[in-house]
Amino acid sequence: MNKALAHLLKLSPPATADIDAFIERSVFPLVDGEKITFVYRGSADAVFLRCWISGLDTAQPLQLLDDTDLWAVTIELPEGSRIEYKLEVERDGHRELILDPLNDILAHDPFGANSVCQGAGYRRPQWSLYDPDARPGRLETRRIASKSFGDTREFQVYLPARFRRNRRYPLLIVHDGIDYLHFADLKIVLDNLIHRLEIPQMIVALVQSPDRLVEYSGDDRHATFIGAELLPSMNELYPLQDDPGARGLMGASFGGVASLHAAWRYPELFGCLFLQSGSFAFSDLGRHKRGPVFDPVVEFVNEFRERPGCPADKIYMSCGIYESLIYENRSLIPRLQQQGIEVRFEEARDAHNWENWRDRQRNGLSWLFPGPVWMVYE
Amino acid sequence: MPKRLLLGPQRPIRNLGEAIEHSGFPTGQMAVISAGWQEAEGDIDDVRELVQRPLVDLQLYSRAESMFSTDSSLRQAYRERQDQLKELQSLYQMRLRQLTLAARQTLRAKGSKEMIAAELRHAVSQLRSLDRHHLNRVQTINNEFDERYTFQQYEPLAEQHAAIAKQLDDCESVIITGGNVVILLNRLRMFGTHLQVQNKHLIAWSAGCMALSDRVVLFHDRLPQGRRDPELLGPGTCLLPNYIFLPDARHRLHTTDKIRTGLFSHRFAPAECVTLDSGAQLLFDDGELQRSELARRMTVDGNLERIHPG
Repeated sequence: MNKALAHLLKLSPPATADIDAFIERSVFPLVDGEKITFVYRGSADAVFLRCWISGLDTAQPLQLLDDTDLWAVTIELPEGSRIEYKLEVERDGHRELILDPLNDILAHDPFGANSVCQGAGYRRPQWSLYDPDARPGRLETRRIASKSFGDTREFQVYLPARFRRNRRYPLLIVHDGIDYLHFADLKIVLDNLIHRLEIPQMIVALVQSPDRLVEYSGDDRHATFIGAELLPSMNELYPLQDDPGARGLMGASFGGVASLHAAWRYPELFGCLFLQSGSFAFSDLGRHKRGPVFDPVVEFVNEFRERPGCPADKIYMSCGIYESLIYENRSLIPRLQQQGIEVRFEEARDAHNWENWRDRQRNGLSWLFPGPVWMVYE
Repeated sequence: MPKRLLLGPQRPIRNLGEAIEHSGFPTGQMAVISAGWQEAEGDIDDVRELVQRPLVDLQLYSRAESMFSTDSSLRQAYRERQDQLKELQSLYQMRLRQLTLAARQTLRAKGSKEMIAAELRHAVSQLRSLDRHHLNRVQTINNEFDERYTFQQYEPLAEQHAAIAKQLDDCESVIITGGNVVILLNRLRMFGTHLQVQNKHLIAWSAGCMALSDRVVLFHDRLPQGRRDPELLGPGTCLLPNYIFLPDARHRLHTTDKIRTGLFSHRFAPAECVTLDSGAQLLFDDGELQRSELARRMTVDGNLERIHPG
């Protein structure tokens, strides 16, 4: 048990004022090296830690501590880890998922928010925080009539702070781009990395699908939209470098599938891929067990593994080791390398979430699109 | 040779004004070459405040940008040259990686000292041979470009050269700032400005110092992806030859790694590899070192030692 908590419980029974003081002076969850203690205070019939990470039980019960209204559970988490979680509180037969009332650190995603446990040694990267010295780029909203989808798609375009019409820029197309802005601070990261000269000034198209589980699952309509509609349109609208090495696709989860699929359908168009926690489910034999939404993904990934071709020259992949997709991601690496593709793979002590994807952006972007820091001596 | 004052980065220690004051430079207007700052060229209020004299920026970067926007043949030829150099550099990198690894492993090898020393000499000579080859190849590509677009022959460049000469007439000293060393070198060569300033007193920092030498070496051990082996970019302007200047080495290099530092020194000998951290300065007068503060020389055994005049 955590030392501070054990010390409190020695005051048997601890007075309410003692518990109040303990809560007041502690930072939750309690991090003691690799041991993390989650604490809940209040009346309940049962309390569970829910953290949806591979390797741990989905729901771990907290124990009511003797003569108190405190509940606690301790888990082991390697240094540098970061996990997202909720508490599930059961009262009168009803269960409710709540954010940890004792922890102010939250991570947001399209479904709401989670509490964040930062294990020993985890630090949010400095380059992901707003830097007043970094000149901000700007976002423009654009629309494109898509024959492939039979509708009009809105997307945003990031232009670097010193954008000039008479220069040529690399292009990165980001799936779930608006989510990347909101939940992975992509604009701040781009501003900072450009300011630090770690990536070149670049143009970034941020696309968002109204039906990502279908369109990002290996859907040819989407590949056509990216390769035959959006890219030519971007070429007309902006001064872009005419070189596959200066064109990239990026995406996380199903967005990773969509990126790989589009590059595979349009080989030689995109030289760089940044695939984060790609949902690269496949089946060697029999049916997969990930549910019907993965059927088209598995169909594509199986076909890709059979005939990968050369979708890009450089691929940066990242995946959390606490997500079940780590197996699929690891499996893909040798297949890509066999094709002569230069692949870098980063494993993180994190799970399938936007802050994991945020924290990997510097390594991925600066490797795929190295900036001029090498040539600048201020 | 007139005076050459070399400084480290002007952040956090801004010693430009003080160093000029103590170096006996003529009073009066100075020219500034801030092309390495690219779009921020000419943003020299801070410099003016430090040196306390009238300044005129030669605008080499914007002159070239302006020419590129109106002269498509020059722009096209320039881009082709840059593409060629880029391709050459990546081929050089590929070969360099293998040779550097071999040399470093030889340096770390255990066994007969004599045998290792002989192998190391050969490993370093291979590196030096590759560097020489690369330098010649870069020079050949530059010469091919210059045959068509040199300020002596191509009228639009000659006009700019003359305009710059006129500005320089009023200046006995020229300040060359830091910034992007590739851009800086390209612009100096494009207008022949390196030849125009050779008889002026020169004050330079960071990239400005690197450009003065006969060879320019790019280096950075702390890139997002980790270390990268030092690369020869190509020839410099030869305004202060036989040195390899290493600005901000404290932040950019793992100078405590004696294997790397020793190899660096071996590879570029007989040139002196000199670190210039913020606050450092070197003053040369008539080619002789007159003053040295905080600058360090890399030794073949991988140490950094102070440089003494004389």
